Amino acid sequence: MSENILVKGPGQAAVGAPSAPVPASAVLPVPAADDASASAGSRPDAGSGPDAGNGPGWTDTGDGRPGERHPAGGRLRRPAAAAYEVARPFLRRPGFVLAAAFIVFVVVSGLFPGLFTSYDPTATAPAEKLRGPGLEHLFGTDELGRDLFSRVLHGSALTIRATGGAVLIAVVAGLAIGVIAGFLGGWIDSLLMRTVDVALALPLLLLALAIVTALGFGTLPVAIAVSVGIVPGFARTTRAEVFRVKGQAYVEAARTGGASWLRVMWRHVLPNSWGPVMVLAILDFGTAVLSISSLSFLGFGAPPPAAEWGTLISSGRNYLVTSPWLSLLPGLFVGLVVFGLNHVARTLEEVRP
Amino acid sequence: MAILWRRRNGEDAGGNTDGNTSGNNRSGGGHGWRAATVSLLTVAFLAACGGGDGGSGTNADNAQPVPGGRLKIAFWADFQGCIDPNQVYWIESRSIDRNFADSLTDQDPATGEIVPWLATSWTVSPDAREYTFTLRKGVTFSDGTPLDASAVKTAFDGVRDLGAKSTLGVTYLAGYESSTVVDPQTVKVNFKVPNAAFLQATSTTTLAVLSPATYKETAEARCAGKVIGSGQFVLDSYTAAKAARLSRRAGYAWPSALVKNKGDAYLDGIDVSYITEDSVRVGSLTTGTIDVAWPRLPITSADQEIIKAANGVIETRSLPGISAQIVPNVNRGGPLADLKVRQALYKAIDLKSYASTVYWDSYPVVKGPYDSTTPYAADLSAKLAHDPAGAAALLDSAGWAKGPDGYRYKDGRKLTLTYLITASTPGEQLLQDQLKKSGIDLQLKVVTSAQLTQLTTAGEFDLAGSYLTRGDPSVLGSTLDRAVTKNYATVYSQDDATAAEVSKLFARGLNTIDPAQRAAAYKDLQDYLIDHGVVFPTYDRVQVAGLSNKVHGFAWTSESFLRANDIWLSK
Repeated sequence: MSENILVKGPGQAAVGAPSAPVPASAVLPVPAADDASASAGSRPDAGSGPDAGNGPGWTDTGDGRPGERHPAGGRLRRPAAAAYEVARPFLRRPGFVLAAAFIVFVVVSGLFPGLFTSYDPTATAPAEKLRGPGLEHLFGTDELGRDLFSRVLHGSALTIRATGGAVLIAVVAGLAIGVIAGFLGGWIDSLLMRTVDVALALPLLLLALAIVTALGFGTLPVAIAVSVGIVPGFARTTRAEVFRVKGQAYVEAARTGGASWLRVMWRHVLPNSWGPVMVLAILDFGTAVLSISSLSFLGFGAPPPAAEWGTLISSGRNYLVTSPWLSLLPGLFVGLVVFGLNHVARTLEEVRP
Repeated sequence: MAILWRRRNGEDAGGNTDGNTSGNNRSGGGHGWRAATVSLLTVAFLAACGGGDGGSGTNADNAQPVPGGRLKIAFWADFQGCIDPNQVYWIESRSIDRNFADSLTDQDPATGEIVPWLATSWTVSPDAREYTFTLRKGVTFSDGTPLDASAVKTAFDGVRDLGAKSTLGVTYLAGYESSTVVDPQTVKVNFKVPNAAFLQATSTTTLAVLSPATYKETAEARCAGKVIGSGQFVLDSYTAAKAARLSRRAGYAWPSALVKNKGDAYLDGIDVSYITEDSVRVGSLTTGTIDVAWPRLPITSADQEIIKAANGVIETRSLPGISAQIVPNVNRGGPLADLKVRQALYKAIDLKSYASTVYWDSYPVVKGPYDSTTPYAADLSAKLAHDPAGAAALLDSAGWAKGPDGYRYKDGRKLTLTYLITASTPGEQLLQDQLKKSGIDLQLKVVTSAQLTQLTTAGEFDLAGSYLTRGDPSVLGSTLDRAVTKNYATVYSQDDATAAEVSKLFARGLNTIDPAQRAAAYKDLQDYLIDHGVVFPTYDRVQVAGLSNKVHGFAWTSESFLRANDIWLSK
């Protein structure tokens, strides 16, 4: 999965990145995380997903591995001070602020393109074709005289939808496969993991191409195709975490206390396993954007005249020498989005103590 | 990635898919073609022909040709992957074929007239069922076998035996019965039914005469390059979709009457390569890596400027045959079943703007169902004129009222038309926006070629593309005449009454001996097709070639293929 390596942080290998699956035996003897409440105070909550408002989610176990969320944990702190403490390490990084601001702009402009441009992205104007970038047309106009900036922003909505859909499907499916495999073990585990191994052996883009050819063209098929490609990573990570958590004392305590397996899984194992999966999800957003743009570049995107970013880059290729902005500006835009996502994910990883 | 979009059952199927394709998928696969081209003969003089020789001027040189050098030419793709002239429909391959395989006759690109080549003279029986050719003496194939009457018989029998494998041959030889060797220099071709278009067919690469040894090979081996012709060049090697190499044949002395160079080729050989990406191909031309850039879709005006800036030359000629056009589905019960809606469609489409926007300002605007270089092509511009007010009036009277969103509605149903394409190109999106202005919602449905075949066969479309290249108007029958074919364009573009009339008009065009009468018949046919909304022409298919300034003596064949006989390279 060379595509994944591009956007994965150094910490990934430790949580069971697909390229370096951690054997169960290596995962189990983790230092006990019973001191969770003690270290929770120094840990930023921002960006850690569902845990954020809910008390301690992560602890430092001393080996770089995110630790357990104590089942009975809780924390009291004044909100303003807490927010500042959480935000400070981020605000001290201007690169992060820029990247985050750009991502926010892309998301907002994708959802409400009308706020930033008044041009109809599909209205052709033959008299104004191939105008260079300028004040009137920020990104210039394309071969049919359509405003390129407007097309990029309207394309954001499609790409964001496809990316979000792909990551969502991958997280849900990956979590399910990982939990089932890790929790049940035995032959079910073997079966699921060998299937995952097979999926991992196939290059992401190749797999996605095959799937999208079978499903047909459009945003949803592209999202499904890309998600199938990134599910194995999530499944692997989840399984490794579930294996680790399963052996913890509090899980045994819960079982001894009479909780059903289903309840143990739902209340104890799952909440303590999905932390690394969330980190992986943020990292995989970049991969998904690239894959989805690649697929739409190859012509599998939304039906015309709608244009995803990849479609815009692709349709400008024939004008690369004479009107380079047609491909370069949307390309730059995609590049910045992926860099931005990468930077945000990296910073989140680094800043977490 | 192009492999995913390969289109195999068509002629010069338009399009690659990585984005720079024409979405016009050809129609008319190899099925169901039947003996059709019934008619009387019409030799020579084809009146209304040759309008579109828009050549922008070759390297006009009176300089003495210099022999030597290899011509490096790059096409865009080779999806069919076949080089056998008798079988191939892919126009790029036919351009290569023209230079190593000769035909009985040749067609003058300027007039459409049939002129001598391997046959020095011919007679046609009044019922157009017997063609007798007198062959040129001393012609040999490159394997040394003499090209005589029995070789011609072997060739024509061989094409017939290919059957549906020769997509074009089936119609060119429609009604073929047998060939008779009268004497070594005379061959008589007999038809069960009249086939007046046969004389033009003998000028094509499809009916090129190959060595008898070739016909002992399997069809697949021939496709892969085991073909021996009598041409000015010899095919040394051919690797599908990768390369082809031709080299000069010593002792060649039987060119067509249209060729200036009566002897050996000036070029040592021709090297063919395939470059998919337009910008790379143009870059290769301007940097001197190749001498000729030969794409399928016209070179963009911007790229033409780049070529000219590098002292290159642009050659253009409209491909004869069916213009790029869209056929409606009138038998689906959709909005297009109503003739008024179809007529409104003509008025809603701005062909002039299409030509100047998608291509360039002086690009020829399509004038009817045929490209301008097709013999007997009529000028129907008046019927195809852009008239939004007229379109609105027609749609109003058909009961489609404008809704609040600008689109038209009838009984709560939106005026939506589904157009099947295999790749999105600017042309269709411009059309979409043009129709939107008249309240018509054109949905572009991008499908794979496999899905396209399936959907068109099942009739699950409102509009689908079609085109075919041949220098005779009978070619349109291959996609629109129910007496000839059962493909989707024929089945869905006409209701039964219209189809009967269309078939009658095609037959009339082929049954007329007098060129003037033939012209009148085809004029009536073209009028009828437009009046009844059977086809919607979108653009004239112009073949554009970019040449480096080293290339001299460039020439088009009548079917807008490459003729290298007179080409020479300056040092």
